Amino acid sequence: MKQKAFLFLILTLGTLLTGCWNRKELNELAIAVGLGIDKQGDQFRVSVQVVDPGEVSTQKGASGRAPAILYTSEADTVFEAVRKITTLSPRKIYFPHLRICVISESMAMEGIAKALDFLSRDHEFRSDFYLVISKGASAEDTLKIMTPFDPIPADKLFSSLESSEKNWSPSTTVTLDQLMADLISEGKQPILTGLQIAGDQDSGETKKNVEKISPPTSLQFSGLAVFKKDRLIGWLNEIESKGYNFILGKVQSSVGFVSCPKGGKVALEIIRTQSAIKGSVNRGEPRININLQIEANVGEVECSDLDLTKVSTIYDLQKRSEEKIAGVIESAIKKAQKSYKADIFGFGEAIHRSNPKAWKSLKQNWDKEQFPELQVNIKVDFRIRRLGTTGSSFLNEIKK
Amino acid sequence: MVSKQVKISGRQFMVLTTLFTIGSAILIIPSGMAFLAKQDAWIAALVGVGSGFLLVWIYNTIATLYPRMTLVEIIETLLGKWLGKTISLLFIVTLFLSGPTAVLYDVGNFLTTQIMPETPALSVNILFAVIVVMGARLGIETFARSAELLFPLFILLYISLVILIAPEIKLENVEPVLEAGIGPIWPAALSFISVLFLPHIVLLMIFPAVNRIDNARKAFFNGSMFGGLMMVLIVALAILVLGPDLTARSIFPSYFLAQKISIGNFLQRIEAIMAVMWFISLYFRATIYIYGIVLAIAQIFNLKDYRPLILPLGMILVVMSVVIYPNVPYQQMWDGTVWLSYTLSIGLLLPLLLLCIHVIRKLLSKKRTESKG
Repeated sequence: MKQKAFLFLILTLGTLLTGCWNRKELNELAIAVGLGIDKQGDQFRVSVQVVDPGEVSTQKGASGRAPAILYTSEADTVFEAVRKITTLSPRKIYFPHLRICVISESMAMEGIAKALDFLSRDHEFRSDFYLVISKGASAEDTLKIMTPFDPIPADKLFSSLESSEKNWSPSTTVTLDQLMADLISEGKQPILTGLQIAGDQDSGETKKNVEKISPPTSLQFSGLAVFKKDRLIGWLNEIESKGYNFILGKVQSSVGFVSCPKGGKVALEIIRTQSAIKGSVNRGEPRININLQIEANVGEVECSDLDLTKVSTIYDLQKRSEEKIAGVIESAIKKAQKSYKADIFGFGEAIHRSNPKAWKSLKQNWDKEQFPELQVNIKVDFRIRRLGTTGSSFLNEIKK
Repeated sequence: MVSKQVKISGRQFMVLTTLFTIGSAILIIPSGMAFLAKQDAWIAALVGVGSGFLLVWIYNTIATLYPRMTLVEIIETLLGKWLGKTISLLFIVTLFLSGPTAVLYDVGNFLTTQIMPETPALSVNILFAVIVVMGARLGIETFARSAELLFPLFILLYISLVILIAPEIKLENVEPVLEAGIGPIWPAALSFISVLFLPHIVLLMIFPAVNRIDNARKAFFNGSMFGGLMMVLIVALAILVLGPDLTARSIFPSYFLAQKISIGNFLQRIEAIMAVMWFISLYFRATIYIYGIVLAIAQIFNLKDYRPLILPLGMILVVMSVVIYPNVPYQQMWDGTVWLSYTLSIGLLLPLLLLCIHVIRKLLSKKRTESKG
């Protein structure tokens, strides 16, 4: 009995000990939601956006403080800079709730790989945050902008990146493991969405920015940054970025217009896309076939002579859309092939999957020689399903 | 002797075998296999299960030839008292140093790397070793029953991991299949069986505790195959979701896999719950090791009871678990080279040797009876 009591005592004591060892209480943590990485000379300049919990909670009226705080420090390595922040911050930075990591354009031009190892090695980082490139500004500055509606800027960036990918499709969400897989892969170059400050930097940093109905400064996603290895080499504009998303089948929904036969425009809402990239090698010549299936609804009619009651009109619109989307895709491919010589679509991987033997010799000079000359066949199958809540537009009957 | 009176059912033995098979493999095996066989690691795992089939058949054969005898007793019968005891002792001491200590190291290493980096591994190991010692002390009937109780939870967690991670699967991760031919499959399959099936030799220590021998054979076989196939699925999922590069690069791919679970932005961040799964399997692997080892020592030295040995052995176990590997690359190197050849010698050469001696003895005794007649 005595023995049992002794053992029990030791066990309970032991449990208590380990429990306290590594405890992290909420009031001792600074929850990081945004991370910005810049380069200043040889040193990394790391900015961390942390939540001010007292300011975000809804129960208490706002006391006039900013909802988030940005701490910045410089050091030789990213990890050192992160730890150095404790000299500024009252609490230790806690990373598992990170939503977005911003890397500055100027640093991306020199290479991003070195900064990423820390993010993948440290146990506090999960792989569910998104990485973006700040365009024309430092990462630190983009994290300083106050955002209305969603008071925590990093949260705003996270949700607006997700919703713009879903509903407009010029941006794309990239997580750390996807980025690293692209960096490692021999048949695919990485890509990241660009983030820019629209408006005046200085007024965006003050509270005035959230006090007006129309905020003078806002954060906007625009275009995709093209990488070669880990260096940023250029940007895709909005249309080319859409083309990129079409090729990879990432477009969940988007809107595009085609012109009516006699002038005017029809906007079509894409509701579903599915893409298949097939690679093949014919007598040493690599070839890519892209098969794209798109379903859409008629969203808006801005021409007065379109008879939507006729099936032939729908077929005509489908044909125009197919040509237009093929054009968008071609422009993205052309940009990547001719201007950047970077296989951002993973065509190399498609060849690798279909013909591993031929890939062995093709991969030697893939981005330099093979990819720019690669023959890409695009087949778009566009189907219009529904017309919305009205049939032919009232524009047809309007008094002349 | 105590071991002769205790009895477990075939079902309990099967559950123990399954948990022993999965053991620490669920934490460490996908990474090494993806490193060796890239996207074909799942094929290598299947090949491993195939060879595990043969190994279990060998173990079953030995166990049926000498029913109601533990491995140590079989070795003694076949090799004679002194040679047999020497070999058994050598086998048991080396097994103690590399089997349960490595399992305990995995527990501490996992927790201090992923969840509690500031807690010393020693304190985690002490806590874990205390329940291992308790389990082994209470005997096989008790921990077989607790295995039976915890097994549904284990299966529930396993199934939910598989189902919840399924939406993240990218089929192109396994393509192209057999890119480098079947060459890299073999070393990967070998590392698979060295962790999953070769240590099964220690299960021959508890084999006689099963109440009916035909049940035991079936349970041994079913448990091994069940555990093996569950691991094939884990390896395949790691490759399908993370891709071969990330799987090979991450130290604990199964935990990474659990981190990737995200259903509709609310069912996420459940990796710590998923980790309960390998705490269960690691616990039973360590306990079966320790129970087998103390039973073996008791039989080698003709002790009446194995119990007094457990606490001192548990203490040594805790100390060894902290000092056995100085750093992580050392452990990875050890697993790839020393552990492989060690398990091959105890898990394949030893039973084959025993079988050969059995056949030779049989022939000799036949001759003797013939010459007499």
